[in-house]
Amino acid sequence: MPPLSPDWSGVLGNPERKDLYFRQVRETDRNIGSFLSFGPEESGAEIPREGSLTGIPVAVKDNIAVSGRPLTCGSRMLENLKAPYTATAVRRLEDEGAVVVGKTNLDEFGMGSSNENSALGTTVNPWDPQRVPGGSSGGSAAAVAAGLVPLALGSDTGGSVRQPANFCGVYGLKPTYGSVSRFGLTAYASSLEVIGSFTRDIDLMEKAFGIMSGQDDNDQSSLAYSPAAADSSRVVMLKVEPGMLEEPVARAYKETGEALKSAGYSVEEVDLPFLDLVVPAYYTIATAEASANLARFNGIRYGYAPDFAENPAELMKKARHEGFGKEVKLRILLGTYVLRSGFQDQYYGKAQKIRTLIRKELSAVFSSSDLLLMPVFPTRAFLKNDPGMDDYKQRLADVFTCLANLSGLPALAVPAGVEKGLPAGVQFMAPAFAENRLFTVARDLSDAFPLQTAPNFMDIGGLL
Amino acid sequence: MKAHEKYEVFIGLEIHIHLKTRSKMFCSCKAHYGDEPNTNVCPVCLGYPGTLPLVNEKAMELGYLVARSLGCKTAERSSFARKNYFYPDMPKNYQISQFEEPVGTDGAVEADFGGGASRKIRIHDVHLEEDAGKMIHAGDVTLLDYNRAGFPLLEIVTEPDLKSGEETEAFLRDFQRLVRYLGVSDGNMDEGSMKCDANISINLPGKGLGTKVELKNMNSPRFVRLALNHEIIRQAEVLDAGGSLVQETRLWNENRDITEIMRRKEAADDYRYFPEPDIPPFFPDEAFLEKVENGMVELPLEKKRRLHSEYGLSREQAEFIHDEAETAHFFEETVKSGASPQQAASWLSSDIRKLLNRENLSLVESPLTAGRFSSLLKLINDGRISGKIAKKVLEKIFKDNLDPETIVENEGWSQISDPVELTSLVEKVMKENPGVVSAVRAGDVRQKGFLMGQVMRYSDGKAAPELTGKILDEKLEEKE
Amino acid sequence: MAQAQDEWSVTAELARLELDENEALRLSQEAERMRELFLTMSDADVENLEPTTHALAQGNRIRKDYVNPFDSVERLIEASPEQEDDFFLIPNVL
Repeated sequence: MPPLSPDWSGVLGNPERKDLYFRQVRETDRNIGSFLSFGPEESGAEIPREGSLTGIPVAVKDNIAVSGRPLTCGSRMLENLKAPYTATAVRRLEDEGAVVVGKTNLDEFGMGSSNENSALGTTVNPWDPQRVPGGSSGGSAAAVAAGLVPLALGSDTGGSVRQPANFCGVYGLKPTYGSVSRFGLTAYASSLEVIGSFTRDIDLMEKAFGIMSGQDDNDQSSLAYSPAAADSSRVVMLKVEPGMLEEPVARAYKETGEALKSAGYSVEEVDLPFLDLVVPAYYTIATAEASANLARFNGIRYGYAPDFAENPAELMKKARHEGFGKEVKLRILLGTYVLRSGFQDQYYGKAQKIRTLIRKELSAVFSSSDLLLMPVFPTRAFLKNDPGMDDYKQRLADVFTCLANLSGLPALAVPAGVEKGLPAGVQFMAPAFAENRLFTVARDLSDAFPLQTAPNFMDIGGLL
Repeated sequence: MKAHEKYEVFIGLEIHIHLKTRSKMFCSCKAHYGDEPNTNVCPVCLGYPGTLPLVNEKAMELGYLVARSLGCKTAERSSFARKNYFYPDMPKNYQISQFEEPVGTDGAVEADFGGGASRKIRIHDVHLEEDAGKMIHAGDVTLLDYNRAGFPLLEIVTEPDLKSGEETEAFLRDFQRLVRYLGVSDGNMDEGSMKCDANISINLPGKGLGTKVELKNMNSPRFVRLALNHEIIRQAEVLDAGGSLVQETRLWNENRDITEIMRRKEAADDYRYFPEPDIPPFFPDEAFLEKVENGMVELPLEKKRRLHSEYGLSREQAEFIHDEAETAHFFEETVKSGASPQQAASWLSSDIRKLLNRENLSLVESPLTAGRFSSLLKLINDGRISGKIAKKVLEKIFKDNLDPETIVENEGWSQISDPVELTSLVEKVMKENPGVVSAVRAGDVRQKGFLMGQVMRYSDGKAAPELTGKILDEKLEEKE
Repeated sequence: MAQAQDEWSVTAELARLELDENEALRLSQEAERMRELFLTMSDADVENLEPTTHALAQGNRIRKDYVNPFDSVERLIEASPEQEDDFFLIPNVL
């Protein structure tokens, strides 16, 4: 197994090794499709800056802005758009010496759980090319799982970092809402989403999070970061009905509970009776905000425009008709509906109150516990175009992940073994600003569930 | 007006003003008129993906200040909302505005409608929002300039308490004065720093509000008056004929002096307001509220009344002097240094006003300071110059930017008040015009003016008029 | 169902989504399914709760009123699908 923390500082600063690296990634990615665009800085051979992340190559989800690189969001609408500025989270990593090497594939505008909703490319799961990598940050998860980069950024609106991390057998962090600036993240659901990260190395993840987090003047919803108490010994585990989870997932879930006990944690089962409100509330709020956030795409100031339109109204409609994919149109339609006069109280208003209920209930749970253990998704990575996992079913399956987005609390996807060549895993949720507890429990489980490597994992050892 | 007698009229206003800040409402681009197109833009105000609104502190302050000055309850918690609609000049196709928690609600302003009549006009709310870009139509295409997109706007909504075009015009002019006094906006309707839309309905007395018609495209307080008065007649004619009115939007056509139905069908829009997730709610603290209080000034109506009561100015004089805060300040400074209010007011509203108009200057820009004005009046009152000379001195102040004493000395315009010198002048004139003298002595008093005129001619207008007249009278009394 | 589809076409218009007939039918069916899912929220007893818009907010965020111009404005105009001189261009609105 390749070492988890190779010394990257001598790679991208060395012209020969750098060349080798880029060629090797391109070669390996031909079979995976993680990247929508990939390559060194157009400006040429810049030596990576000195810092705590010197030389570490980073893949960035293509809905996060990196100046001079495409910002397609996996959509025809923005296929030709290059970002004129860089997201704060990325800039902070770059200031510490990290190097962005490419933009990764995603479900269009972050809407999906399989990466199949991308209009610009296909990504497969490095563990099994017949299966999806998960979504919406599928490209970033696959890039890390395949060894192309040690660190990748994604965005998590309803599980879009944790679920693909889970499907690809890597760690996936959804930080506390507001703890990482959203400046540069193409908005889908403004009050639910946050930039998250993928790694196979918890120390690297913790370091990167420390660098990215903290208040940003360019984002007035960003928060000053002050870590919560680190005590993490009391775990509550969501009671899951039999048959709710696929066998291997149920097994990994149970084994995690036991491993925690062995590691000295107390583990008690907990019931969350409001769980069936989570998916409807999430989709009501997310689509409502999305309907407004995506209104800006109308073929005038940038992006796709039809060849001909008689008047501006037609221009806008045609641009949106030809630029947006099916899932995006559906969510915009839903979001517009739940905000309509006469319907808003019943749908959007109701969902926002349910959100308050959820926050209160979780607050009560955490008043007597430190961590909440839950599954990530009912199944492991499913097959491409799986008829048993249609879009509607996929949305319902977001139940475990949406909770963290509705409440704003942090959560970490932790791999827990591989069965028949496909990873299984769990997630932990913690109170606001308690990322420290998440990293601790992940470390504490790494003996029971040592991280495994996908087949054809790109070994950069030869480069070093 | 017949319509007025038969029907009750209800007029409410939606006034938008551009706030005088350096940067835009939600980004650090310059907020400035007249620059080359699309030079004051950035990814935020162009609605690029991934950008977020950053609330301007000064705009918040000015919003609270206006709300305070209109007697509103200022919000303990103020928040923003998205107003969703599509239009090419809207970069995000939603406008960030305020809906449930505006900066001010439930205010009232006293409005002076002349002739001693005043009434409280209620303010429904005051709220912050951002402006859209500008569209220029050119043949087949429309050109878009987003310099103005994101400008900070303050919207003031009144209750339908105004009853006529005249009242509305007076109210608007008062309002313009108010925002200029506060320094929050230029309040120019023709330049675009202030816009006014009106809602008007009429109904038989006691029946409450009628069917509301919205009027737009009125670019001055005068046009607001004309449009409203026209609309009242139009609506009355419809009702008189037994018809009913339709809730619609009409545009004022200033070339044809009529209101017309608006072609664009906006009515169908459902704005789907919801709270802005990118901006946390704002809680004004003590330091903030103190800053707002410090921005408060004596309001125009108070000042007008005080000018009338404290200085004894007539209503017309008070009206003119209070029209601009600088004029009122100038007036009070002048009086403080010893001038008589009446005299100061009189000069301000006549000669000085004429000169300012001719030179196209404001008082502040002109070479006439309160100090110089005060000196000028003192020179008159001390008898050093006549009123006529004073007018010439005033012109010179404007032309040469000098103090009045200096001018009088340079030009040698000091009044001749020495009785000996004057007597000799009078005697000279009388000697040269014996016929006139006899005529006056015989009873033709009018011709005395001719003799005075001759004295003035010989003295280059510097003979002190009153003293000269006295001496002349004495001499005329003397027997030959 | 016809009435429901009508609601969805009004909604599509509000969202400036032009849908051809097939798309309109398919989308309105899927949307209806989601709407029924949303209706399951109606049983929740939450009337006495305040709505949440900001899950975690720390207090006032405000920006000082200084001008800080964007450093590459030309890029922004160049990115436009249609431009003329320094204007963004669209077919005439009128």
